[in-house]
Amino acid sequence: MPSDSNSTSSNYSSGRDDENPNSDPNSKPEPQLEPEPEPEPEPEPNKNPHLIDQSLDALENQLASISMSSRSPTVTFEGEEEDDVESREQPKSMNGSFSEEIEAGGDADSLEVGRHFESDSKAESSGVNGENISFTWLDAPEVDEVERPLSPGSSGYAGEMGSTSGGDEIVDDDEDDSDIRGVENDGVLGSNNQSVSGKRHADEDDASVSWRKRKKHFFILSHSGKPIYSRYGDEYKLAGFSATLQAIISFVENGGDRVNLVRAGKHQVVFLVKGPIYLVCISCTEEPYESLKGQLELLYGQMILILTKSVNRCFEKNPKFDMTSLLGGTDAVFSSLIHSLSWNPATFLHAYSCLPLAYATRQAAASILQDVAGSGVLFALLMCKHKVISLVSAQKASLHPDDILLLSNFIMSSESFRTSESFSPICLPRYNPMAFLYAYVHYFDIDTYVVLLTTSSDAFYHLKDCRIRIEIVLSNSNVLSEVQRSLVDGGMRIEDLLVEPTSRAGAVSSHLGQPRPGAGTPGRTADGSIGIGGPAGLWHFVYRSIYLDQYVSSEFSPPINSLRQQKRLYRAYQRLYASMHEKAIGPHKTQFRRDENYVLLCWVTQDFELFAAFDPLADKALAIKVCNRVCQWVKDVENEIFLLGASPFSW
Amino acid sequence: MGLSSENDRREAMKLCMFDLRRGQTEGQELDKILFFYPADLPLTTQLSVIGLSEGLITFTRVFSPDAPCEVIEAEKHCHVFYEVEPDIWMVMVVEKENPEAIWRVDALRSVLKEIHSLFMMFHGYIRALVDKEPSGGLVRSHLYYFIMDFLRDFSIGKNLQLPNFRDSLKEQGTLQMLTVGREAAIEVQSLVTLLESCVGNKQCYSMTMFQDLLVSTNLSPIDTLNLFTYAVRRLTPIALFRGASAWSSSRKTDTACNTYAGALQVTSVSAIDQYYNSHDPSPIRRHNYPLVRPLQHSKWSKGKDGFLTTDIWGTEVNSLVPMCPTIWLHLTEEKMFLLAYQHRGLTVILLVPVSSVSGDQGISMLKQQIIENASLKMLKVEEKLSRGWGGENAYHVSGYRYLLVDGDRYVSRASPPGKVTTLTKESLVALTKLREEVDSEKARAKWDNSGREKDIEICIRAKNNSWLIARLVRGKELYMVLPKGSETLLFAADATEKFSERYCNGAFSLD
Repeated sequence: MPSDSNSTSSNYSSGRDDENPNSDPNSKPEPQLEPEPEPEPEPEPNKNPHLIDQSLDALENQLASISMSSRSPTVTFEGEEEDDVESREQPKSMNGSFSEEIEAGGDADSLEVGRHFESDSKAESSGVNGENISFTWLDAPEVDEVERPLSPGSSGYAGEMGSTSGGDEIVDDDEDDSDIRGVENDGVLGSNNQSVSGKRHADEDDASVSWRKRKKHFFILSHSGKPIYSRYGDEYKLAGFSATLQAIISFVENGGDRVNLVRAGKHQVVFLVKGPIYLVCISCTEEPYESLKGQLELLYGQMILILTKSVNRCFEKNPKFDMTSLLGGTDAVFSSLIHSLSWNPATFLHAYSCLPLAYATRQAAASILQDVAGSGVLFALLMCKHKVISLVSAQKASLHPDDILLLSNFIMSSESFRTSESFSPICLPRYNPMAFLYAYVHYFDIDTYVVLLTTSSDAFYHLKDCRIRIEIVLSNSNVLSEVQRSLVDGGMRIEDLLVEPTSRAGAVSSHLGQPRPGAGTPGRTADGSIGIGGPAGLWHFVYRSIYLDQYVSSEFSPPINSLRQQKRLYRAYQRLYASMHEKAIGPHKTQFRRDENYVLLCWVTQDFELFAAFDPLADKALAIKVCNRVCQWVKDVENEIFLLGASPFSW
Repeated sequence: MGLSSENDRREAMKLCMFDLRRGQTEGQELDKILFFYPADLPLTTQLSVIGLSEGLITFTRVFSPDAPCEVIEAEKHCHVFYEVEPDIWMVMVVEKENPEAIWRVDALRSVLKEIHSLFMMFHGYIRALVDKEPSGGLVRSHLYYFIMDFLRDFSIGKNLQLPNFRDSLKEQGTLQMLTVGREAAIEVQSLVTLLESCVGNKQCYSMTMFQDLLVSTNLSPIDTLNLFTYAVRRLTPIALFRGASAWSSSRKTDTACNTYAGALQVTSVSAIDQYYNSHDPSPIRRHNYPLVRPLQHSKWSKGKDGFLTTDIWGTEVNSLVPMCPTIWLHLTEEKMFLLAYQHRGLTVILLVPVSSVSGDQGISMLKQQIIENASLKMLKVEEKLSRGWGGENAYHVSGYRYLLVDGDRYVSRASPPGKVTTLTKESLVALTKLREEVDSEKARAKWDNSGREKDIEICIRAKNNSWLIARLVRGKELYMVLPKGSETLLFAADATEKFSERYCNGAFSLD
């Protein structure tokens, strides 16, 4: 596995390298990347016939800069500001061409951002050239986190390492395998191991039997049928297949209609048209149409996060525009997102989850984030893997849970962020799909990172200062060590659910309303002999607070041991969610569902949604009682498991 | 022609049948089309519908070779596919814009299945007809009149009313049975024995119906279903009444058709009829095929002797005596004479092998024998059955709106339609969606090939507070709406349990 991850990492970086003339002598000239700032003097960008090319160049530069850092990996946290200053102090060439393109239809903010984008791309480019060293780490071998041991029960959906996946050659099971890897990856989200590697099975194409048997394909193509992304197989080899997909879409379109879904046996082909971008999923995973469509929306959102919706303009100018180069090297980002579609409830709940922390600890983090948010930071997020520790937004700005998901996926799957502080343009599709923001990203430790988002392209040093202030406060107040401890302790465990509410009274002060587990207890989830689930055959639950936009899910406990079982449960929740939220008539209020695998109970109110899984033989009356207890338990510990008072999506 | 303007005759449905073994060379594409409704659609449009269908069948075979395209869901249309025979496909394209256009794909597909299985019963395999005359004229004519006659059952005014959410407590393609007491059952049995003795040594089949309900039969399940479907459409007292009223209200009548050509003439005017008056596809006009239109409306009537008669199958060459109808049995592929005797609510259908009866003479003799030996018995049976029959609301269970399906036996029972209409649209739509979910669970179990049937229990409290319930147990299905359910899930579960105990012999009870 490590060897594979090495190669994928270099895949990723080489994608970037292609964009960088310094690393590829044969690449086409990139004026903005030249050491001299004026190789392409364009004082009147609007009159420039090559405007679109420029925009594209700018986009490519953006991509190059995404993985770029301001310092080399050898430096430590402290005291490299000087270098950074040097590297950053490049003149900006403000020709604003892209911004003019972007701002149409945008608000003042986006206009601003658009301008910044252009200037920043120049700045970034200059930065690259000013400091070639910033690319050197990209080819460096993986840092040691690959080998890092798992923290047990570190996340709601992280399983134990126990069952390892089979080889990739097991075609029929590849979905399971990959998902398993995805989950494992969740356990070690820091380590960019195989699962979030770049392209898998790049040697395949639509003529390969193995390719045809993959359980879940994702394709992105342009409206002219040019492949942009394929989960499996090489995009170029799939040009013919891509053209077929395009033909289907446009054939139906020519008839004045739009194709959404084709069903064939166990297979579903789901289509999503987003302007000039077509997204297609071919799946036999039994997920409902609505879920698959939501997944394509996320995939599109991920693309927008990297490129902004302004990429549409490229197609307006040149319908045959080839977008693959723009996304070069981002395979890992998409792979990682696709994996999370099989284990992360955030992808269908449209809510985010928080790392469980004592209220005071989270408050400490929030107050320092709040401090910096006052000073030109639009959003400040402190994250641990895909979970939020705290987040703060400037007045009136709001952060959609999907944006948090896509942003954290982007950061965690891009190895570059991990190794050094970065300043990178990103777009939050739900916030403003037309414009770039600038993300300052810094990892405090292997799992914990801060993201500071701003509209200003030249805020790097300011944000760096902010980060230093945050870091000092976090270490002084022990937040980071509390975070590590929370990772070890894990979240809510069904075994700890007490059926009699009164018996809890004394324990409220301890970890999530239960006595803190001793040193040996993390093994409890790994030890199959201990558990048969919680009371009344409760196996697992997910609770989503509607007005907080957050969810909490219990740790996996026996008998939901294996990753396969976890994924099956995840899919069952997904179906239940789709069933409850049926568009025409939903949402329903209650649902009880019993099949050979589970009893599932779902309860939707104005305040929350509860999804609970029980033993298939569970008694209805008892199960209902236990659900009520779960809701009470969540309420009892809500200031530990949720971020209160943030209400990031309130206007 | 009596046609309204093109604009207000926008078709909400397209229905086509095509053969993938035909017209594979460029320029010959039209050859593929065996049937297209509406027939007056420009050929380019017809070809584009078939082109898309064929394209997607090919495309989906890449991933799903054993089960190619089943449905296309587009923004405005839904295309439902059904491969009726190898390489012969039917595709129904329905519009979604109408607020009534919420349906289960499986219910729409069952319409296609019904068309094909009825067609088979009267005309045999489509492939055989295609092979019989490779130009395609023969099969096209047969399909054209057959399907147009079939569709007329669905036409309400100018529109076709396909099964939609209002039919969510119905199961197409199933039999509805009459529950009979022990005494009546013995009577029916003795009637069957009596009829068999009338036929003599020949192997014969019978089917006894009361009103639109099946009482007893010795046919195979598939043949029972087909014959039952036909009887309910054309033979039962209700169907005859329907036909007669259509007959009397029709502006143009033509009862004096003693020839095959006459059989093609139109008896009443509806949107469908207008098509084949004005848009008869030319290949059909050119050839004068001997056509039988078993689904032609208002063609059956009850004779003085109690036997149902029709001239659909033409008449004897030198007389005015109608020829006896014939059908094909599905399993044995044996051709049978169909004799139907009716007394009030009772309809008895007798199938006798064509090979065993010497022409019309034999049929008349057989009829005579039945009248002499069995008519009294039939009177008695009818009396018994109607005494035990509780009327159209016989199977109503107050507080419940339900549908019970026994998939293995193709049998269903449901709340009477009049009671179902009291449900709100919201509840019916919600139930349709729930049934779609169950349909896909069933399909999944089928594809997983596990061999065992899926057992599932779903209980939903909808937004309007009604409870929707679906239970699958060992191939049996129960769907219910409890419109006035109380708050708790336990109440709903309890109500289901009671229903199962009282009306389903505990088939859906836990433990």
